[in-house]
Amino acid sequence: MTFVKRYLIPRLIQYVLVIWLGITIVFLIPRITPNDPVMRMIGELRGRGSTLEPGSMDGIIRDLTEMYGLEGSWLDQYWAFWGRLFRGDFGVSFFQFPTRVNKLIATAMPWTLGLLLTTTAITWTLGNIIGGLAGYYSRRSWSRVLDAVAMVVRPLPYYIFAFMLLLIFAYVVRWFPITGGAPLGAIPTFTWAYIRSVLWHSTLPAASLMILGGAVTFQTMKLLVQNINAENFVQYAKLGGVKESRIVGKYIIRNALLPQITGLALSFGQIFSGALITEIVYGYPGLGMLLYRAIINGDYNLIMGITIFSIVGITTAILFVDLTYPLFDPRVRYI
Amino acid sequence: MKESRKKLSRREFLRSAAVFTTAMVATACTTPTPEIIKEREEVPIEVTRVVEVEGERVVEVEQVVVTATAEPAPPKEQAPAVLGTFPRSETFIARILTGRVGSPDNFNFWVGWKWNDRGLQNLAAEPFWTVDFATGDIINGLADGDPTYNADFTECTVPLRKGVAWSDGEPFTAADVVYTVEALKEYSGFNAHSFFVDNVDEVTAVDDYTVKFELTKPNSRFHTTFLDRWGCTRIMPKHIFEKEEDPVQFPFNPFVGCGPYKLHSFDPQGSWTAWERREDWDKSPTGIMYGMPKPKYVIYQYFADEGAQILAQLTHQLDVAELSADGLKALLAQSKTSRAYQPTFPYVVNNDPCITGIRFNTARPPFDNVDVRWALVLAIDIVEYTSIAVDSSGTLSAVHVPHLGPYPRDYIRPMQDWLKSFTIDVGNGETFAPYDPTAPQRVADYARSRGYIFPDTPEFIEQAFGLGWYKYAPEIAEKLLLKNGFSKNADGKWLLPDGKPWKISFMSGTVLSNHDARNAAAAVQQWKKFGIDAEMYATEHGDGLQATGDYDVSGGWPAQEPWGAGPDLYRVLDLWNSAYIRPVGERTQGHYSRWSSDEMDAIIKELRETDPFDTEAVIAVGTEGLKEAVRNMPGIPTYGYIGFVGWDEYYWTNWPGSENPYTQPYTHWPNFKYTTPFLQPTGM
Repeated sequence: MTFVKRYLIPRLIQYVLVIWLGITIVFLIPRITPNDPVMRMIGELRGRGSTLEPGSMDGIIRDLTEMYGLEGSWLDQYWAFWGRLFRGDFGVSFFQFPTRVNKLIATAMPWTLGLLLTTTAITWTLGNIIGGLAGYYSRRSWSRVLDAVAMVVRPLPYYIFAFMLLLIFAYVVRWFPITGGAPLGAIPTFTWAYIRSVLWHSTLPAASLMILGGAVTFQTMKLLVQNINAENFVQYAKLGGVKESRIVGKYIIRNALLPQITGLALSFGQIFSGALITEIVYGYPGLGMLLYRAIINGDYNLIMGITIFSIVGITTAILFVDLTYPLFDPRVRYI
Repeated sequence: MKESRKKLSRREFLRSAAVFTTAMVATACTTPTPEIIKEREEVPIEVTRVVEVEGERVVEVEQVVVTATAEPAPPKEQAPAVLGTFPRSETFIARILTGRVGSPDNFNFWVGWKWNDRGLQNLAAEPFWTVDFATGDIINGLADGDPTYNADFTECTVPLRKGVAWSDGEPFTAADVVYTVEALKEYSGFNAHSFFVDNVDEVTAVDDYTVKFELTKPNSRFHTTFLDRWGCTRIMPKHIFEKEEDPVQFPFNPFVGCGPYKLHSFDPQGSWTAWERREDWDKSPTGIMYGMPKPKYVIYQYFADEGAQILAQLTHQLDVAELSADGLKALLAQSKTSRAYQPTFPYVVNNDPCITGIRFNTARPPFDNVDVRWALVLAIDIVEYTSIAVDSSGTLSAVHVPHLGPYPRDYIRPMQDWLKSFTIDVGNGETFAPYDPTAPQRVADYARSRGYIFPDTPEFIEQAFGLGWYKYAPEIAEKLLLKNGFSKNADGKWLLPDGKPWKISFMSGTVLSNHDARNAAAAVQQWKKFGIDAEMYATEHGDGLQATGDYDVSGGWPAQEPWGAGPDLYRVLDLWNSAYIRPVGERTQGHYSRWSSDEMDAIIKELRETDPFDTEAVIAVGTEGLKEAVRNMPGIPTYGYIGFVGWDEYYWTNWPGSENPYTQPYTHWPNFKYTTPFLQPTGM
């Protein structure tokens, strides 16, 4: 009960407050920028040649304001927003009117989750295993080669690296497609042929994320393991004749994993923001471009819809790590 | 049975990995060597074009000889026969200009923005009329001729084309037009709702193929709401929309139009939209006028990255690429089958009905002072300016319409004498004639000095570089500023009349390859050289900031874009109407320069009262409008909008290039449907 009273309940209150504060800030920020969604749509329509006679502009502004639900004060809009949110409704997208925000997110989310959950999990797992081994066996030649490769790859700007992969594998050897998440004309179906084509299209985006991300995880883990390997308790264990596998697994890797677990949780939380540059280079669908376009167009409801996932995702991931940390680190106690 | 397997040692593995990596890098480095072809040759080609014979449009085939870069070498490899699920040789692939489609399953383009350039406006929909800025003509689509007005412009009657059917087979009649206008008036969710409420009292079908609009007030340009210039009021199929309880929420999927293509399929993620030629294409205005569209399928595809576009065209997966200047150079250097709009320098599409340049916020000092605006014009060396902005490839215009279509004939050439005699008051009784008819030749000479090769005929120089611009006269600019109380400090930097340093913040968008940013970069460099502390300010919020007057100078259009066809400049001039100006802080309804004058108001009023089909009268009033704009220079026109288009000739030929401009050259413009019957399959 002490844990519940002294830690869990205050932590859960903090969790709810952080989410509320995050959502409120995201509600306010687009409204204090000079990007008015009504004006943005008028500018867009006017720029695209639609019939917007100067003399009828007041009427158009009035109609759009009403249609977007932007009448009334910010406070009125704020209450209306929370009312909708509790019903699980983010409202309509202004720029993609009258498409609902829920639908837009539901369409893009599987692509982002499919790509980023997989690549984050694989990158983290492989990066840590290989980095851990390379750190422990840091004098071996293969460890040095891997370290050298990581040193070369890691500083490369992501855009350049992603485009280099595209150039080599989509143009020079032509193993993979140049753009898109699926072939032209392919309609999404739950068939092996479609799934295979999606995997084929995802290979380069995934590879670009995994190689660069993996290099970072590898180097971080390698350095952590090298440092822990030099600690007295590890030396003592070695001198004490503890089995090498036990030293590596229980003494070194377990300790080195602690900051990596926090990093993993944050990475999972950030998935909901999408991978904008990946989406741009490979023409891959996802939340990144949806969010970018929403910000550019002052599409308040869509910004709110996507960022709420991000805020809740990151906050929940941190809460999860906080609560489960004692499982990974016996030194941590909440009572 | 134990399988015999050779174990791979660690060293062998590392060696193999190193060899593989080296091979990949080496392969990447051996892409085709860039080969910029500079030799010119006379090339005979067969062109198909549309000519008017006794008022009828007739298609004719002709052999012409053009000066071109060396003929592309034969393709070195066979491209895949099927791309996705489409037979490649029957499929035409272009890029969606406006990006990934946000609402791919919604085609109701009367509400909000529906990515109309994904094939809606350019393949499947048909307007009453369309401007063709390449020929300067207005093409009748669903209309069967020009509209007629009564004497006081309160009634407008439009004849409709017979024999047209919607893509679901229902006939198109005046009832569709009446329904559309009544629906637009009834539902406030439609973009054009306010316009039709404000302007149309009643619409009636005189018969099945004639429609009459009774207007709420005199409006001699009412019909232009149906004139497609990258957007207009389009007609709804009554038999579909009338069944919907709320036509604003109706997604209109599948799209039904009177264009020659019908919806085939689309990507739920908005990456592509595919269209298929109608079996009854001969019941579309395109088919009736020009014959069968050649591609069976047309796909509009999204490319977020220019590099991906280039790679797609190099592998024959994209027929039309729209690039930056550097992107086009890279494509032409790498591709054996791609061509540009012009066969020689400047390569670019230089006939687009927009004049780029510099826009002043005339509501903010010191840009409210015409002398200051003129000083900033004269501080520009246009040769350096166009070199910085567009590598000397822009067509100059000294007036506020671009040098293309009907404008050189109707305005720019006839105004030459006036421009040459036009003077500005420099002070102390001194005047200065700023116009320089030699500017285009100077730009051409500079381009040639940099190694570019192109014809040296007066016709080519005018077509490529224009008829004139303004002198580089910093000493006159200095006099104009001194006359208005400006001064220079010890460092040679300009100070405002109140003694503070003169800083100019030049606003542009964040896409630096766009022309607002190109003009910004060039102007800032020129004004810095003149001693002004100018800087670029890139923002995503440019439209809102300009609309509310929160800026100094921007790279937005210096004047409203003209129609691009026909002589009427009402669209250009009316936006300078003082009635539309709102106080700074509120969104202005007119031009973002917030400039107007009593003289311009009088010209606009006269133009409103002039029959838009009285060519001579329209040109006379329009010319006065352009003169008033030059005198006041609310924005500086520099060069016409240029596009960097790469056409792949692997699958399709007979592009509307500069040697054969039978129609406008873009795939995102509504007229692209009129290009499709002229494209020739190569049979690859």
